Amino acid sequence: MKLAWQNIIHDRVRFLVTVLGVSFAVFLMVFQGSLLAGFLQAASKLIDASDFDIWITARGVPAFEFGATLESRVREIAAGVPGVIETGRVCMAFAVYRNPNGKQQIVGLVGADPNIGKHFPVPGLPGSGSVEVISPDAVLYDESNRDQIEVTTLPAEVEINRHRASIERQIQGFGSFLGLSYLFTSYRNATRYISLGPERTMYILLRVGRGYSVSAVQQSLRRRLPEVDILTRQEFAHKSRIYWMIKTGAGGAILTGAVLGFLIGLVVVSQTIYANTMDNIEEYATLKALGASRAFVALIVCTQALICSLVGSIVGLLVVVPLVDYAKSLISWVYIPWWLPVAMIVPSLFMCSLASIASVRSALAVEPGRVFRA
Amino acid sequence: MPDHFLGVEGASVSFGKGGARVRALRTVSLLLKRSTFSLVMGPSGSGKTTLLSLFGCLLSPDEGMVFVEGVAVNRLREVERTVIRQKKISFVFQAFRLFHSLSAIDNVALGFRLRGVRQSERIVMAQDLLHRFGLGDKLQQRPTGLSPGEKQRVAIARALAGNPPILLADEPTASLDSQEGRNVCRIFRSLVDESGKTVVVVSHDPRWQEFADRTVILRDGQIEREVKNP
Ligand SMILES: Nc1ncnc2c1ncn2[C@@H]1O[C@H](COP(=O)(O)OP(=O)(O)O)[C@@H](O)[C@H]1O
Ligand SMILES: [Mg+2]
Repeated sequence: MKLAWQNIIHDRVRFLVTVLGVSFAVFLMVFQGSLLAGFLQAASKLIDASDFDIWITARGVPAFEFGATLESRVREIAAGVPGVIETGRVCMAFAVYRNPNGKQQIVGLVGADPNIGKHFPVPGLPGSGSVEVISPDAVLYDESNRDQIEVTTLPAEVEINRHRASIERQIQGFGSFLGLSYLFTSYRNATRYISLGPERTMYILLRVGRGYSVSAVQQSLRRRLPEVDILTRQEFAHKSRIYWMIKTGAGGAILTGAVLGFLIGLVVVSQTIYANTMDNIEEYATLKALGASRAFVALIVCTQALICSLVGSIVGLLVVVPLVDYAKSLISWVYIPWWLPVAMIVPSLFMCSLASIASVRSALAVEPGRVFRA
Repeated sequence: MPDHFLGVEGASVSFGKGGARVRALRTVSLLLKRSTFSLVMGPSGSGKTTLLSLFGCLLSPDEGMVFVEGVAVNRLREVERTVIRQKKISFVFQAFRLFHSLSAIDNVALGFRLRGVRQSERIVMAQDLLHRFGLGDKLQQRPTGLSPGEKQRVAIARALAGNPPILLADEPTASLDSQEGRNVCRIFRSLVDESGKTVVVVSHDPRWQEFADRTVILRDGQIEREVKNP
């Protein structure tokens, strides 16, 4: 396929422009993809961090951040359902935070029972980045929110909803995507700050015993508790992600960026390949006169598109990976899954096949008989 | 039937419709023997190129027959004609029509590729051909770096790649100076004598007559007369 390659690089300026265009497209797609992946991951991070199989929420709760209260007796009823071997509670509310300098802001406050999960940020447990057991009333914050929390030494005395609180540790990996900081503490402590009485609670988590099917237990819970939502952990995580991505339009905006990237790449590659095909249309006629099959002619055109897409993709990926790393340092939740750059093969191939269509058609349509007429 | 090796019988070709209709060939019959050198002459517009296109399976006649290696090809579809061209027919053009982005050797190697020669053999065979035409020191030159005569010799090498039995050339010396032109005439003659090719050359250039076995003169889409060369 030397002809394809030589034809493409013969016009260096055009080739360079194409490579730049495609790399920009791939860059946009990967970058937007990382935003999307990170956003999705962050939107259900706390739900995913729990070790429990089933989440009970008040009816119609769309996402973890917008919990509503339900009666505490739901927990007793649920605990009595066969197959439920352990329960736990989580609450989440927005609260007024006052830092040591007296500055106030709204934060998301998350409280959880200590058994919720090894990876769930709860004080009083080893894990969550801390080795020693600390006081259950301690408050934790994520390092990505250090600038908003504004504590210089730990522990620091602060106020949450006018209650005295003690910030004792910085954790990692729970940066918020909402633009406001999250604070984490024990369930008991959190109910105090947000004045949640013992007769109410917010999320009830259930662990299903070995030998029981989660969906069977879910069904019997639904029969027993028709007035609340009973979701598996995966269902609630999914619901939260869908909410943030679709209902808020955030996902749409990000997706639009990715689609835009794809279109830019498509236009650039098809323009180049088309211009190149038209420049060389006489040579395609010669090829056909010399007995080249339709498949061979199509192969040459497609190979050119493939080369442009491939070289552009590689350059784009080389640029995007360090840039996403940099973005990560600014936006804690940006996440580039290992498969995302690899997955770029699919839109790139799709792009170059689309881009070749018009060119392949013109190259195939050229009359070999014109070879004597130029 | 060796007389039908390459030929047209009662072939008519017209272009355009209605008042703009041009009858490029009017019931022309011309049968060529294997391993002969035929020259087609005639004023411009007389139908020489159209006749060559019929021989080359680049065009189907409106009426009449076309034979290649004794087989009628006038009813074949484009795909089938492509296969005939690929296997049996090669072309040399006035404007060379080399692939501009490929070096001399790659141009010839592509000719081998189109005729299905294995990749491992193409380059060596292309090299041999170019050496034979005195281009051993120009293997890596792109067409822009070659003189017209050299370009035409590369084009002839490309046409010979894969050893097709029939070679058709339209004004192959019109872009060359007289010495280069003579050189090309000699090459064509030797292809008939030494390699047994069947060659048809279309040209205005009377110099060709001393190399050709027969000369056919066209006028207004018909054969006006024929000159047998000694
Ligand atoms: N593709 C075509 N469309 C229309 N007219 C054509 C075409 N090819 C050839 N002709 C016409 O047919 C006639 C014969 O052309 P051609 O075979 O090229 O003559 P020559 O090669 O002897 O100059 C001319 O009048 C020319 O204008
Ligand atoms: Mg002509």
